[in-house]
Amino acid sequence: MTSRGTPSRFLKSVLQNGVGRYVCQLKRVSIIFSKKAQSSLGVRDFIEEGVVDYAKKNPGTVVYVSPQACKVPKIVAEYLNGNTKEELVDNKTSQQILEALTKLTNQSGLDIIRIRKPFHTDSPSIQGQWHPFTNRPPSVGLIRPQNQHAE
Amino acid sequence: MAARCMLIRSGLTFRLQNQLVSRRPSVTPVREKKRWMKAYTYLMAKKLKLEGPPPPKPRWQQPNWDYHSEVHAFSSRLHENFSIELLKAAFINPCYVHAEQERRKQLGVDSETTALVLKDNFQLSEKGASFTKSFLTDWCRASFPSLPHEGVEGIVGHLISPSVVCYVARNLGIEDLTMSAEYPVADDVLGSTFMAVVGALEESSGAERAAFFLRDFLLTQLIGKDLFDMWTVMNPMGLLVEELTKRNLPLPEPRLIRSAGANTVLPLYFVGLYSDTKLLAQGPGETLVGAEEEAARVALRKLYGYTENRRPFDFSPPQLYQQTLLQSVTGN
Repeated sequence: MTSRGTPSRFLKSVLQNGVGRYVCQLKRVSIIFSKKAQSSLGVRDFIEEGVVDYAKKNPGTVVYVSPQACKVPKIVAEYLNGNTKEELVDNKTSQQILEALTKLTNQSGLDIIRIRKPFHTDSPSIQGQWHPFTNRPPSVGLIRPQNQHAE
Repeated sequence: MAARCMLIRSGLTFRLQNQLVSRRPSVTPVREKKRWMKAYTYLMAKKLKLEGPPPPKPRWQQPNWDYHSEVHAFSSRLHENFSIELLKAAFINPCYVHAEQERRKQLGVDSETTALVLKDNFQLSEKGASFTKSFLTDWCRASFPSLPHEGVEGIVGHLISPSVVCYVARNLGIEDLTMSAEYPVADDVLGSTFMAVVGALEESSGAERAAFFLRDFLLTQLIGKDLFDMWTVMNPMGLLVEELTKRNLPLPEPRLIRSAGANTVLPLYFVGLYSDTKLLAQGPGETLVGAEEEAARVALRKLYGYTENRRPFDFSPPQLYQQTLLQSVTGN
């Protein structure tokens, strides 16, 4: 699909985050895994080694660990703007799961779609919108067709 | 015909349910083509079409929810030291307490043996609302000293309007924690909960922290807003004349300074406002009247110091903020 056909948005943050103070946008994360399945081996390792450290490091995020019979373990992240993201972590090592969790923590929760420009401003032009009189000295009168005979 | 079909279908579901109920886990499932599946899916699709999607469930009714941890996380996420009891009280709305009492009465719970000890957030909300209003008014007066009383009221009214407050509250995750009688939470309930949170912060860590909270989360909504979007002025020229007479300046004199394409579908006029042969402001417009009004608005923005190219607001963190204040005081 061409880039015009794909959904896109402008660069922005939730609630002007970071203008006043930075608020971590990840409000809640649930780690869903199986107690027995082979694919959850890395998640079980992570829960033994790293999840307490992660929770201590991020007091603003509530971490739920829920064992249930499932073949594909996953991390469900909920963000302050109401969006929910699921990340499948089957057959991942403990280190890889920590990386996935850190990535989810650093995200803003806005949809991951094409961003039109890597910068954005609410007032795009400093001197104002262009009009026929921009950069014309005030002494020049009305706008007329250019003089054909002037050489 | 249709009624007969529905009858047959309802009979079928009844049988299906019976089958499902009677199927014991000890019986080994039969591997065969599930011929009942098509009718069942069809019926469920029909039901969805007739009844519409089910109502949204509040977050506390979904799995993985621990209220105490959530409230703690809310407090530390915003880098504030809330007193947890106060914060929990701030989330309890009067409508929730009322609905809970009704529910208990219906269930036949004795109100004396198991009394509902819940303090609602009415007082906190009132306190927070009055604090918010006074702080925002003071802040506007300090930032725009020449803005008249109506303008300050317009800005404050925009900031504490339900749409802005609810937008902020939803994006701070207050909606999940709010105890309300109905879900989705109504706008006025959410607004009063936000004010109660502000009131709780003021009680637990003082007015200064509450002021910084409001500055960081509510006043940032002013970024990119035009003055006359928030403050409706019907007759800007009259207001400009009033302001100039207050300052003992000669009255503004509109002059057409530039025009182009007067006979086309896209005419453009530039009107300049002169006071004592000095150009106050100039504004564009498609008609002469419109251009004059726009020029008056530009002149008013210049007078009040709310131009687009003004110095940005200071949102630096508290320690830095105090340093800059001290520097400005000593510099003066």
